[in-house]
Amino acid sequence: MSLSTLTKPWAATSYGFLDASAKRELRRKMLKAIAVPGCQMPYASREVPMARGWGTGGLQVTLTLVNPASTIKVIDQGADDGVNAASIRRFISRVSGAAETWDTLDASIVQSRHRVPEETLGDRQILVLQVPNPEPLRGVEPNISIARQMHADADYGKLWLTLYEQIVRKGRIMQGAAYPSMVNGRHVMTPSPIPRWDVPKLNMARHLTFLSAGREKRLFAVPPFTRVEPLVFSDRPYRVEDHADLVCRRSGVSGYFMNELPIDGGGSAFEVSDSNLGIKAIQQAEGGEAAIGPTWYRNGEFSA
Amino acid sequence: MAYVATRGGEKAIDQAERLFRADLGTIDAGRVEAIRQSMPYLVDRVMGEASLYSEELAALALAQTGGELSEAVLVLRAWRTTQPRIAVARPVRQGELLTQRRISAAFKDIPGGQILGPTLDYSHRVLATDVLEGTPFVPPPVDAAERAAPQRQPSLADWQRAQGLVAPVDEAKVAPQDIPDLTREPLLFPASRAHRLQSLARAETGGVLALGYAAMRGYGNAHPTVNELRLAEAEVVVTHPRGTQFSAGRVRVSQAEVTSKEKGGYLELGYAATFGWNEVKVIAAATLDLNSDEAPVGSAMHEEFYLYHTESVEASGFCIHFKLPHYVTFQSVLDAMRDAKAKEPVATAPAEELQTEPAE
Repeated sequence: MSLSTLTKPWAATSYGFLDASAKRELRRKMLKAIAVPGCQMPYASREVPMARGWGTGGLQVTLTLVNPASTIKVIDQGADDGVNAASIRRFISRVSGAAETWDTLDASIVQSRHRVPEETLGDRQILVLQVPNPEPLRGVEPNISIARQMHADADYGKLWLTLYEQIVRKGRIMQGAAYPSMVNGRHVMTPSPIPRWDVPKLNMARHLTFLSAGREKRLFAVPPFTRVEPLVFSDRPYRVEDHADLVCRRSGVSGYFMNELPIDGGGSAFEVSDSNLGIKAIQQAEGGEAAIGPTWYRNGEFSA
Repeated sequence: MAYVATRGGEKAIDQAERLFRADLGTIDAGRVEAIRQSMPYLVDRVMGEASLYSEELAALALAQTGGELSEAVLVLRAWRTTQPRIAVARPVRQGELLTQRRISAAFKDIPGGQILGPTLDYSHRVLATDVLEGTPFVPPPVDAAERAAPQRQPSLADWQRAQGLVAPVDEAKVAPQDIPDLTREPLLFPASRAHRLQSLARAETGGVLALGYAAMRGYGNAHPTVNELRLAEAEVVVTHPRGTQFSAGRVRVSQAEVTSKEKGGYLELGYAATFGWNEVKVIAAATLDLNSDEAPVGSAMHEEFYLYHTESVEASGFCIHFKLPHYVTFQSVLDAMRDAKAKEPVATAPAEELQTEPAE
């Protein structure tokens, strides 16, 4: 045995960009996050060659998970061809040798900003959500030390109060995306700003979800088969966006979350937000062989 | 439509970057060297905020970002974080610094003397427009002092300690490799003193100035008196695996110690230090350090507030991320707003009635 057999040849950067000490810390924090679902784990959050707020938290988790046999899908607002999604995907594949895909069914890791794909994720897939603000209490308590104490005490009264006040003032809960949700009956998390449409997809799911905020240096997880329950009052049921009846003008699919596009002369057109689902639907309509997997929503109703 | 159409994927990204780089033109070693030589204070500022001491790499970062400071700091930090931590240098003591400038506003004169050193403090800030008319500015020669100032200066706080004016040093016995390292650990609150000072050392100069100025102007409890300000060079003394200690080189450092008033029978001290010569930053940072212990939670003088909000890479990154599309979250807001509007007559009804309304 010699030193050269124990070491690797010198390289300008480590495999997957992050060095071994950064990955070791992340793996420990990711395992802790799985062990305490929904609880925010602080981590060092190394700088990566991308600006903070542009998916650096998700990127660090993905770079820790990725291996040469991985297939990665990266979406921004549901689209694979968004400029930042393309930039992140290119970076990950360049530093890891992982394959790229747009197809949810083929991906082993899905890194996403603001959406969960419409096709059901399985137990061999990991969803990595980019999180701008990991703290569901930020709106009621900007001080992070006090907020940590409130989580420790499961003291979510102020959060309930803001939801109640919205009902009193506006007749309904006005929270748009990032709907605060109770994980495993213990920790309230923000499911990153995914629309309300996507939150039920995390509940008792077969896949593992990591949520990581690089700028705020916090990550948390929803392990498979874990309860994720939006905070609602018993007489005011949870309501997803009213998109069930909208039809995509390009692919003709309906019953999924849509992008609204203002059109000249007033009114709106809609396009399916999960852009590759739309692409596959068009390919099918044109006689192609694109396979669309089972989806969480069927005919606009959540039915997983 | 237009915004959605700007998704062009990889080609668009590639061409947008090319446009930026084309404007900057060819970057060669000569340009990097010119920046290093002509902009030492800018290079110092970038090295401090990147917490990476390399004039050459800092000048390169400035060259390749066209002087976009937050971008320059980001590329340096992203490079730095991939480098192994091969040694921990011996702590730097004030008395060992090769001091080029050292002043105190607390006393007319101090042991070791007031050393003005290089400064623009007393210059008239007149733009040298003659240079543009074709007359180069040639700096007048410096007259050597009759007696050279001593290279090393004692610490004023040590003298104050001997007089019983400043609390004795509570020196924590921490092994070098156990000193908390902000670049390898998350910042948690209350922050350790090591983390607080490290965070201030790499903080964004403008951000520290703004909040430090707010403290000085009246939002803090303590008005600073500059006890000692130093611009110096520090030997980086590391231990060879064979056990010998040697200097791996010198780095330019600034440090400021500010004081205000009595607390517990002693003068309170606030402290800050950073890579490079950056007086404004260390005075402002030391003022924040001085004020933070008594600062109300949530105030701009509280450590959680100023440490989070002076972090250059995080603040600039988050600010520019708002350029990214947010149409999914916006759609979610629109949906709730339209539904609430449709319900408006109900919403304005008395609360008692509202409670009896069916949920839909």
